[in-house]
Amino acid sequence: MTDQTHRKNVVVIGLGNPLLSDEGIGVHLIRKLSEHQDKFPSVEFIDAGTGGMNVLHLIANRKKAVIIDCVKTGKKPGTIKQFEPADVQTTKKMTHFSLHEADILRIIELSRQLGECPDQIVIFGIEPESLELGQSLSRTLTNKIDLYMDTISKSFS
Amino acid sequence: MHNNLDINIHHITRVEGHGNIVVNVKNGKIEKLQWQVPEAPRFFEAMVRGHSYQDIQTIVSRICGICSITHSLAATKAVEAALGIKVSEQADKLRILMHYSEQLQSHTLHVGYLAVPDFFGTPSVVPLVTRVADAVKTIVKAHRIANNWSDLIAGRTTHPVTLIPGGLTRTPTEKQLRQLQQTLKDAVPDLKKIAEVVLSVAANIPKFERPTEYVSLKQTNPPTYTFYHGGITSNDNKGAALPIEKWHDVANEYVVEQSTAKWAKWHRDACAVGALARFNNNAELLSPMAKDAAKMFGLQKGCCNPYMNTVAQLVECFHIVETSIDLIDQLLVRGLKAEKVTSSPKAGKGAGCVEAPRGILFHEYEFDKKGNCVAADICIPTNHNHANIQKDFEKLLPEILDQSEKDIRLKLEMLVRAYDPCISCSTHFLDVQFVR
Repeated sequence: MTDQTHRKNVVVIGLGNPLLSDEGIGVHLIRKLSEHQDKFPSVEFIDAGTGGMNVLHLIANRKKAVIIDCVKTGKKPGTIKQFEPADVQTTKKMTHFSLHEADILRIIELSRQLGECPDQIVIFGIEPESLELGQSLSRTLTNKIDLYMDTISKSFS
Repeated sequence: MHNNLDINIHHITRVEGHGNIVVNVKNGKIEKLQWQVPEAPRFFEAMVRGHSYQDIQTIVSRICGICSITHSLAATKAVEAALGIKVSEQADKLRILMHYSEQLQSHTLHVGYLAVPDFFGTPSVVPLVTRVADAVKTIVKAHRIANNWSDLIAGRTTHPVTLIPGGLTRTPTEKQLRQLQQTLKDAVPDLKKIAEVVLSVAANIPKFERPTEYVSLKQTNPPTYTFYHGGITSNDNKGAALPIEKWHDVANEYVVEQSTAKWAKWHRDACAVGALARFNNNAELLSPMAKDAAKMFGLQKGCCNPYMNTVAQLVECFHIVETSIDLIDQLLVRGLKAEKVTSSPKAGKGAGCVEAPRGILFHEYEFDKKGNCVAADICIPTNHNHANIQKDFEKLLPEILDQSEKDIRLKLEMLVRAYDPCISCSTHFLDVQFVR
């Protein structure tokens, strides 16, 4: 069983479905970042896929949580934007806990109410170019993988 | 009695994916009443074509974030059937243990976070944290136990990595299994607490009945309340079970204008799958604590109140925990050993079936002589339930038309939620607006 009392202080969670092209950018980046685990001994990298509600447990009682997800804000495809939960409001007002859509902001709200939310939560949203069926990222996002890795890894400390 | 009523619930809340409820009543006559599924089809079956038999379970695990272990197990069983691959008794038991972990994950999630807020009259679980803090914390604890259990056996909470055709890539240690067993024993009082909380608001579960065909797995050798082995049965099939290979005769998928998802039927014009179906076909085989829980709620075999599916899920939580404690004993008594799994490609076609938390799931694949997939067919449980939701609506609405519009909306929404539907099973991207 996973011992929740001896978990790493920082968790980096990649969300998304890698069967739907850029929708899986979070998962692709976790795979890449995990290859450099030795550089980040106090960081746990987790490919959480589309298991939305499970994020509640993955962030519980950590010092910091970094979440990487595909995000649609209408910006240029490939754009990466860093924000905190307080910076945004969910547009899925009707959704509450619609699991596959992983209403992350409401999960964070629940985590706070339960008194187990990390002090710091950073979300990296990457604007998709393609959400078509396919296991590869679009060329636009593929060409920016190194930029994403640099940007995201700066947030671990 | 409403002479005129116009309800358009676009994207019903607290279900997985997008479904709409449309009601039009004019001059006291129901002109339109539909359960609509507007989501674009995903065509995952096309994606596995050309892939090796060894990769299928990994790819299909991404179909769903809730039933990922279930999809992987159904696919692995289908691959093994197609290629004639045998599985050891130890691997079989560990897979069942893995499967139970996901059932508990999904059931606690649906009962605790999605359905119970209706019984308390709140829009989501968040307001319940202040109202019934202990209850919510207990639900979160049970859900967390199930997640950690999946981590141990499947290698991950979702999208398992230990499953391969022929067995598992990793065997847990005896110490890990003993720890899991103790955790499950310790979880029993928590489950009882959750059951008592649900019972305290069970009067808010609508009383509605419609005779229904219930379809599920049935295992006779040995007789088991099954989620994993056995054939396909229903209360219309006179106790007989069809072999899994005959699943097309059961699913009978068809297309309707109001839904992008396929619908399914067997003996009647609709059928239901899920916890209540399993209960109705196999209740006498439940564990003692599960039988006690059913008694608490007055849930009896033959129940055809779809709202009671949530209670049946809660009953199954007890069965899952109690049976898993016993299953771990069986594994420990025989002694765990590391098993080397080998398989080789060949041409073949096979079907696999398991019970997803929300009902029976079928996978079928065909492979060429190199072991590459040439055809795939998947039938998910929610497709079985769509027609039944529509038929329930058609009986329910005339019975509640004298109630307030708010109550009518709530009862229709609760009905859909009771089926624990999984509509999109695939996509989730974050949709936000910046406020600063």
